[in-house]
Amino acid sequence: MEKTATDLFIARAEAAAAQVHAVPDEAAAAKEVEAIRAEKGADGGAHGERALPSGVGVVRAAKGIAQTGTCIVVTDDEALRLETMLPEVSVILLNSADILPDLPSAAPFLRAEQTQGRASYVSFITGPSRTADIERVSAIGVHGPLELHIVLIGGRP
Amino acid sequence: MSYAHEIEEALKDGFLRRTLDKFAVEYRAGRDRVFAEVDERALIQRIADVKDDAARRMEELYEKFRVEAEKRGAVVHRAKDAAEAREIIAAIAKENDVHKIVKSKSMTAEEIGLNAHIEAAGIEVNETDLGEWIVQLRHERPSHMVMPAIHLSRGQVADEFEKATGRAQDHEDVHKLVKTARAELRPKFLAADMGISGANFLIAETGSLAIVTNEGNGRLVNTLPRVHVALAGLDKLIPTLDDALSALQVLPRNATGQRLTSYVTFIDGATACAKSPTGRKILHIVLLDNGRADLARDPLFSQIYRCVRCGACANVCPVFRLVGGHRMGHVYVGAIGLVLTYLYHDRAAAKKLCQNCVGCGACKDVCSGGIDLPRLIQEIRARFAKEDGEPVASRLARYAMRKRPTFHRLLKFMRFAQKPFAGKDGFVRHLPMALFGKQGFKSLPALAKKSFRELWETRDSWLAARDSSPRATNQKHLTVKIALFAGCALDFSLPHQLVAAMKVFAHFGVEVEFPMEQTCCGLPLVTLGEKETALDVARQNIAAFVGEYDAIVTLCASCASHLRHWYKDTLGAEAEAFSAKVIDFSSFVHDMLGLTEKDFTRLDWKVAYHASCHLCRALGVKEAPRALISAAAHYTPTPEEESCCGFGGSWSFKFPEISKELMHKKLDNACSGDATHLALDCPGCTIQLRGGADREKRKIQVVHVAEVLAASLEAGGAK
Ligand code: SF4
Ligand code: SF4
Repeated sequence: MEKTATDLFIARAEAAAAQVHAVPDEAAAAKEVEAIRAEKGADGGAHGERALPSGVGVVRAAKGIAQTGTCIVVTDDEALRLETMLPEVSVILLNSADILPDLPSAAPFLRAEQTQGRASYVSFITGPSRTADIERVSAIGVHGPLELHIVLIGGRP
Repeated sequence: MSYAHEIEEALKDGFLRRTLDKFAVEYRAGRDRVFAEVDERALIQRIADVKDDAARRMEELYEKFRVEAEKRGAVVHRAKDAAEAREIIAAIAKENDVHKIVKSKSMTAEEIGLNAHIEAAGIEVNETDLGEWIVQLRHERPSHMVMPAIHLSRGQVADEFEKATGRAQDHEDVHKLVKTARAELRPKFLAADMGISGANFLIAETGSLAIVTNEGNGRLVNTLPRVHVALAGLDKLIPTLDDALSALQVLPRNATGQRLTSYVTFIDGATACAKSPTGRKILHIVLLDNGRADLARDPLFSQIYRCVRCGACANVCPVFRLVGGHRMGHVYVGAIGLVLTYLYHDRAAAKKLCQNCVGCGACKDVCSGGIDLPRLIQEIRARFAKEDGEPVASRLARYAMRKRPTFHRLLKFMRFAQKPFAGKDGFVRHLPMALFGKQGFKSLPALAKKSFRELWETRDSWLAARDSSPRATNQKHLTVKIALFAGCALDFSLPHQLVAAMKVFAHFGVEVEFPMEQTCCGLPLVTLGEKETALDVARQNIAAFVGEYDAIVTLCASCASHLRHWYKDTLGAEAEAFSAKVIDFSSFVHDMLGLTEKDFTRLDWKVAYHASCHLCRALGVKEAPRALISAAAHYTPTPEEESCCGFGGSWSFKFPEISKELMHKKLDNACSGDATHLALDCPGCTIQLRGGADREKRKIQVVHVAEVLAASLEAGGAK
């Protein structure tokens, strides 16, 4: 059976150490986010001097890429961008209808973002932050999030 | 410490050796896995085409980039050299009253020696990439472009962290050390007034930067402080977003075996920034020339613009694997490091480094931009040779080889001179090993009693000695006429391999001619930097092979690749017809004659295979020899068949320690199973591995593929 873009997205995101939560609709997504918040703790002070809305950062992706398991997040807004960087747990909401097949197919989207007559900052996020800089041991969670949760809306029937 | 001594020390560094050995094997496996999902060759070709075009249009792309980026609130600077780039950045820091800087990885910053300059102005600079931070704490250079601290153990890192934090550190748990770095650097990000980053692509169409990272430090560097300075070479300019996205399918796959890094950030102009007095990010983009614009017009070297700094050329380099990046690089590491060191950084260092390359071609094979790195390194060596005037070896070679009869007389004289020392088994036996010094790791081959060209005269007797009458059942009789190109090593040292090939040809009725005027292919001359003499011998060979042949067959993979590629590339039309006919023995037998297992009797030999660099990479021949071995015997796959044996012609005499280690590893791999024989297609590798197997008393027999086939036919005939 041929894999759908959504199946491939899930497999590739998981291969990059993301945790994918497939939910049927927006209402279920909101519940899922609350569950993650509850489990991971919403203490705002865990990240140093800068106050954050919560210890769990939540943002919404504009697009996904199946081949790489990537979420594309428009992060022109600085506070929103920091939501994807500073907290130890990062949650990204993605609509399965927005999944593109591969990197080259993201060009039109990116071009539209960059030609609106204003500055822009677009983040391609694939899994949590990681390093292999000490003895090539793969370690998840360096300067960015330690965990990445993708809440995939309409992901699976 | 002398350079030779440094290399010896590196070889003794057990930790480094184990790490790099493990890495070499795992890297290959990871890379293969993720490239299987895409069209590797097409993607690499696309990078080559896009970057070649960008190099030609560098000025136009720069203008476009500048206009678009400034439209979106960035300030674009162009620095003609390292000093100017340092000044520009120092001035930006001053005018914005900057006291603390955080930096993410930038090889260009290494290139211009930025940190020392800024620190001298009393500004604190902190590297934030984990590996870069570690080497910064140790006041060292990165030993790899992607993994700067790959030469260090976790214990060394823990010691360094103890000094930096004043707290005890776990010496075993890498994850805890990573946590320390997170905790230690987080306040530095928050306190910094300026972030300095590199950029992987500068996209002209929209004036945007693409930055590729894994740790997340890069995004903090360009987000938290109010000022962001991006520093990149002019070679990072590419026309469109599509070009960048396409290249991103290769870069992470080649760098770390990832489909994509954790983060790819596209910054297009100055976005809103709470900390900035103007409410917008203060964004400066500094483009470094430092010789790039001139180089973009160089017909040979402009191809280095295809480099995307993936580090793959180091990852697969057998010499890097043995000695590490501090000895196989300068600012940049690996094959590209050797070339860039020569072009930009330090000619004296480049002269030493470029001698290191064994010319195996592994780097070229994996390069994201398909850069012909070994060719560039060879050219640099030739230039140094020219500058230095004539070393004795070159003068001798030129004198001896310009005229074929002189050269062949000389070889005969050497055979006479070695007589008292030659053993019966084809090795030089009776010289005290002390005379060989560090060369003693392998037995050296003696020149054969009779060269092939002498044996040729009496071929009717030795070919008729066996029953060659066609057998009705399985014997083909083919109407193919070939000319045999022997090559010096086979002709004078290993003629029995040519004899074996002749038996195979005779068995299948192939008509063979051996033009007597043929001489050395010229490859050793090119290696010595003797291009003029190499051209002379090339012309002699072309003239010797003017007859009507279906193919020019050689048992030497090195000769084959030189005759095929160098002749055509250097002589053009003059060599075209000749080069087109050159084919290696295995491809000829497998592809042209179409022989299969039906044509052979299976021997009970278990045969491991060594894929010679010049065959598997330079000529791209992979299947034919393995298929033939399977047809005539039992092919026994062993690990790392395609890694270099460490011969490299005269190179093995310059770097005996490295050559020895490569050979040793090769034999370990070949002997790891139950193989009785090790087959290959190149006399250079034969000399290296037969000599090594003899010296190390290995049980394996080193043979040419032709010998496997001849033995199989012989066994069949005896049936
Ligand atoms: S040709 Fe081989 S030895 Fe030379 S730099 Fe490339 S990989 Fe290293
Ligand atoms: S030369 Fe090729 S392989 Fe080496 S770093 Fe550059 S792109 Fe990668």
